[in-house]
Parts: sequence; C-alpha cells; structure tokens
Amino acid sequence: MLTLTKDRALALALLLIVAVMWVESGTIRPPTSWQPYGSALFPRILLITIALLSIIILLRSLFTKVTPQPSLGRAITEWFLRRKTIVALFFLFGLYAALLPVLGYIVATMSFLIASFALLLGIDTKRKWAINLGISCIFVPLVFVIFRFGLNVWLP
Amino acid sequence: MSDFFLQALTEVGSPAVMGLIILGVLFGIVGGSIPGFTVTMAILVVFPFTFAMDPVSGVSLMVGVFVGGYSGGIVSGVMLGIPGTPSSITTVYDGYPMAQRGEPGRALGIGVMASFLGTLISVAVLVFFGPLIASFSMNFRPWEITALIVFALTLVAGLSNGALLKGLLAAAIGLLITTVGYDRNSNLRFDFDLPALSSGFEMLPVMIGVFAFSQLLGNIEKMRDEGTNGKSVDTNVTIPYRLIMKDMAGQKLNTLRSSLIGSLIGALPGTGGTVANFVSYDQAKKFSRRPEEFGKGTPSGIVASEASNSAVAGGAFVPTLALGIPGDLPMAIMMGVLILHGITPGPMMFEQNPVLVGAIYASLLIGAIAMVLCNLLLVRWFAKISLIPQQILVPVVLMLCAIGAYALNNNVFDIWVLFIFGVIGYLLWKAGVPLTPLILGVVLGNNLERQLFRALELDPNWLTFLTRPLSALFLALAVASVVFSLYQDRKVKRLQQATPSP
Repeated sequence: MLTLTKDRALALALLLIVAVMWVESGTIRPPTSWQPYGSALFPRILLITIALLSIIILLRSLFTKVTPQPSLGRAITEWFLRRKTIVALFFLFGLYAALLPVLGYIVATMSFLIASFALLLGIDTKRKWAINLGISCIFVPLVFVIFRFGLNVWLP
Repeated sequence: MSDFFLQALTEVGSPAVMGLIILGVLFGIVGGSIPGFTVTMAILVVFPFTFAMDPVSGVSLMVGVFVGGYSGGIVSGVMLGIPGTPSSITTVYDGYPMAQRGEPGRALGIGVMASFLGTLISVAVLVFFGPLIASFSMNFRPWEITALIVFALTLVAGLSNGALLKGLLAAAIGLLITTVGYDRNSNLRFDFDLPALSSGFEMLPVMIGVFAFSQLLGNIEKMRDEGTNGKSVDTNVTIPYRLIMKDMAGQKLNTLRSSLIGSLIGALPGTGGTVANFVSYDQAKKFSRRPEEFGKGTPSGIVASEASNSAVAGGAFVPTLALGIPGDLPMAIMMGVLILHGITPGPMMFEQNPVLVGAIYASLLIGAIAMVLCNLLLVRWFAKISLIPQQILVPVVLMLCAIGAYALNNNVFDIWVLFIFGVIGYLLWKAGVPLTPLILGVVLGNNLERQLFRALELDPNWLTFLTRPLSALFLALAVASVVFSLYQDRKVKRLQQATPSP
C-alpha cells in the first residue's frame, strides 16, 4: 500500500482544493462583449499552476524512497499526539474567537490567557499560578485602555 | 526635493511623532532581542496600533520598529548565543565568543555602532537610488509591471532554501487568496454562497495568521522538542565606550563594504537580511589580514554582520517605494501598512506623496539615532527581556494578534480569518512550504491581476508581453531565476550524495 508522506498529503490536499475551486469558478459571471477575458481567467490560471505544481510534487514523491509507516489512522493519531499542545492551543484560540462576541473582550481574553498559560506553563506550583494570573490581569485591561482611550477603537 | 523633505522633517520632528519613533525603536529592539520573535512579528503586532493614526505617524512608528528590530537581534546573539532574528546569525559567530571571554559590553557596543552606521549608509543609498529608479520606472506600462511582479515572485520562490516547487506553489496560493470576493469588474468569485466571503480576505489577518500564528506555534513545538528556554546568563553589562570607538576606527572599510553589501542585497527582491549577513561576513573574512580570528570573537565579524543586516533596512525600501515590489518579508508587511493607510507604493508615490517619502527618510535617520541611544542606555534591560520564555510570550502575542485583526474593521470575522489562515500556515509550514512567497503573493495579487487585465484590455494579444523589450527582459529573468534555482538544487543534492554520511 502507498505510504502517505508529507509531500503526497500536500499534493493530494491541494489537488482536492483545486478541483473544488475549479467547479466553483464555473459560477463566475462570463465576460461581457467589451471584455476580452472574464473574471475567471486569473484564478483559473492560478488553479492550473497549482494543479501542475502539485502533480509534479506528487510524481516526484513517488520516485523517492520512503520508510514504511504504520497505517494511515495510526499515523494521523501519532501526529496529533506528538503535537497535542499545539492542537490544544489552536482549539483554545478557536474557542476564544467564538466566545469573544458573546462574553466581551475582558472576560473572553482573560479566560483565553489563563487557559493558554496553564497549558504552556503548567499548573503545578503556586509561582506558576501567580505568573499566570499576574500577566493576565495586567495585560488584558492595559490593552483595553490603550485601544479604547488611546486609539479610540471599541473592543467587543 | 528639499521642500518636501523639509516639510517631512517638520512633521516627523514633532514631539508626538518623535515619541512614536522612539517607542517603535524600543519595541523593535525588544522584539529583535527575544529569540523566536522576529522583526516581522514585531511589525505585525504594532501594525494595528497605527489604524487610528495619520499616515506619517503610522509609517514613522513602523519604521522605528523596523530599524530597532534589525538591531535587536544582537542582544540575544551576544548574551545567549541564539540569534534573535535570522538576519543576525553571523553576529553570534563572534559576538558570543567575545561575551564568553568576559567582554559582552564590547560586543554589544560594537554591534550597535555598526548597526547605526549601516542604517545611515543605507539611508544615503535610498535617498540617492530611490528617486532614480522611480523616475526610470515611470515609463513602465502594464506589461512591464506584470512581468516585474512575476519576476519578483519567482525570485522569492527560487530563493526558498532549495524548495523551488513549493516556493512557486506558495506564491500561487498567495495570489489565489486575493481572488476571493468581488473583483475589479464587480463580479463575485469564490464566495461559496457565504456572505462573509463576498468582500474577500483582509490582507492583515491573512498575513498575521499565515506568518505569526504558524511561527509562534512552531516556537512552542521547537521548545518542546529541544527543551530550550530560560537560559541563565549574567545580564550585568557595561559598555566600554572608549574601546568601542577605537575598535570602530579600525573598521572603516569593513563598515562601508558591509553596509553597501547590505543595501544592495536589501534592494533585491526576495533576499533580505539573512543573505546580506552571510555575504558580508564572508567578504569581511576574505578581505581581512587575520581571517583566522573570525569565529573566535573578532570585532570585524560583528561589524560585518551588524552593519550589513541594518543596511538591509534602507536598501529594502528602494524597490518597495520605487517599484511597489517588496524586497523581503518585513518589507511586504510594511507595504501592507502603506496600502492600509491608503498609499500605493510605486513610482507615482514619489510624485503623489513626496512628504510621506521624505517622512520615511527622516524616520529612518531619527530611528537610527534613537536605536543607538536606546541600545547603549538600556542594554541591561534588553538583555533581561531577551530571557522571556516562549510559554509567556506566545499567548500574549496571540491575544495581541487577535485584537489587532479585530480592530481593523471591528469585525470578529477577521479573527476567524486569522485563525483559519493560522491553521493553513502551520500545516503548509509542516509540509515544508516556505511562507514568504505566499505572503508576497497576498500583497501583490491584486496589483498583478489589475496590471494583467489592463495589459490585455489594451492589447488582447499575449505575445505583446514578449515583444516589448523590458517586459520580455523581466520574463526572461523570471525563467532564468527558476532555472538557476533548479541548477542550485541539483548541485546541493549532488554534493550531499557525494559526501559520505558520518
């Protein structure tokens, strides 16, 4: 069975995206009588370029020796497990973006910082908690004051 | 010329703008001194604070960050042996050994003085060559501009560390991102029936997401893998001023040569501080009477490295201002700053916004002076700041990035754009795709499409791109840069195969 390498995954993912976008480019309004080329021309040139480059990367990867790897499912699980901190940080940021309009800047940002520091610094000592809460409680209101009163930008 | 420069000096010389430049320099040095927090990221974090400012204030603040950032790498390079920015790698070669033998103040002082002189010389290059190139490029028509942008993109992609295919792929992805939303003919593209996509993606959240987000998470990953952070070093630094003056007096030629190399390389699209750093270090070693001292803590090595990487600042402004083609990644972001302030860099900028061009010159000069004073007076504090652990830095910067993206239009959708492009940027980075061509594609995409269509509307024949001498030359250079990169890749691979593994 074919092993899924970085290059192969990249090429296949891009080819899939190109296919979806090519179909979508069919909905772009065709050129009018005075236009030599329509609005779909430029993105289609780029889609063809991306597809060609992806195919070259895919073909090249087929001629490169790769060490056999575990099954696809296990490989993906291992990838996520090795990067669980990164995945968790992405999740926290996504949650922050979702909760920002609901909870408002102060509560949402403070929660995000406290949770992120807890994730990265750890929660096993009082000193770490002091750093966590200290920085969160200083930075969040400080940024609010700078944006609201210094730059006249309203935060949610 | 003198009128607009005087007017610019009056504006930049006001206490408020001077204060902003000094703040920018301070933040730039802090950003440059923290390993993993590059000049580019410092610019991205400060960028949102310029939204409410007038163009001169906003650009002056950003120029301050730019000047400070390029010099800031020296602190962590000398104190920790870790280059604060990729453009100060060779500073470590001599700065760290000098600090190790008990002279950190001397190493920092030499580096700061070399940075100062490098910036001054590069400003002279910018003042002299900027208008010349701009007036020459006034004759460029859409065919030439299209071909020039294609050349810049292939050059940047080709210089992406032996990943030409992926570099080209990244540039194409960057260009494709700019096609989402309404185009110049008010036709909707790639909205997938989502109203939020109809106005396309804002440049800033995309740039922050692709670059800052992925790099910050990359730092976390690196820190976890290598277990590096929070080195214990003595930050009690004293600057021996007399000794530094004596050292610098013996480095006149080296300073001038390295600064000119930095300015020249900075002016080439796609190269930037890292390339300048290595080339000038190599040249300084070749010209030196005592090349055996390089790498062991010689002042010549520090001067070559710091003068060249700081000179990149002025040099990189030449193509950005004169042609609208950014020289490197920080410049691409700077170009984004100008565009968001309603200014289009390019030959017309010298005619339409001469005061702003003068303000950039003046900010660079004032920034260079502020950089020397800040570095020499506050070096102990910067040394302490360079020890901030990534665990504390990353969440704070992520929060600032999110608020910056939101503040652009007071729209939460921009935070989602940042997040989604953060994920995309991280995955692409993990797949070995260089991100600089992607960002350059995002910055240049709209202009490329506009110029291409103007050319085709004037003459629908594609062959016109090859029959006009200058556009044909730029396209030939684009092909040559791709061929050269392929040749270089093969050469490196052959060398790797020929070298027996240990």
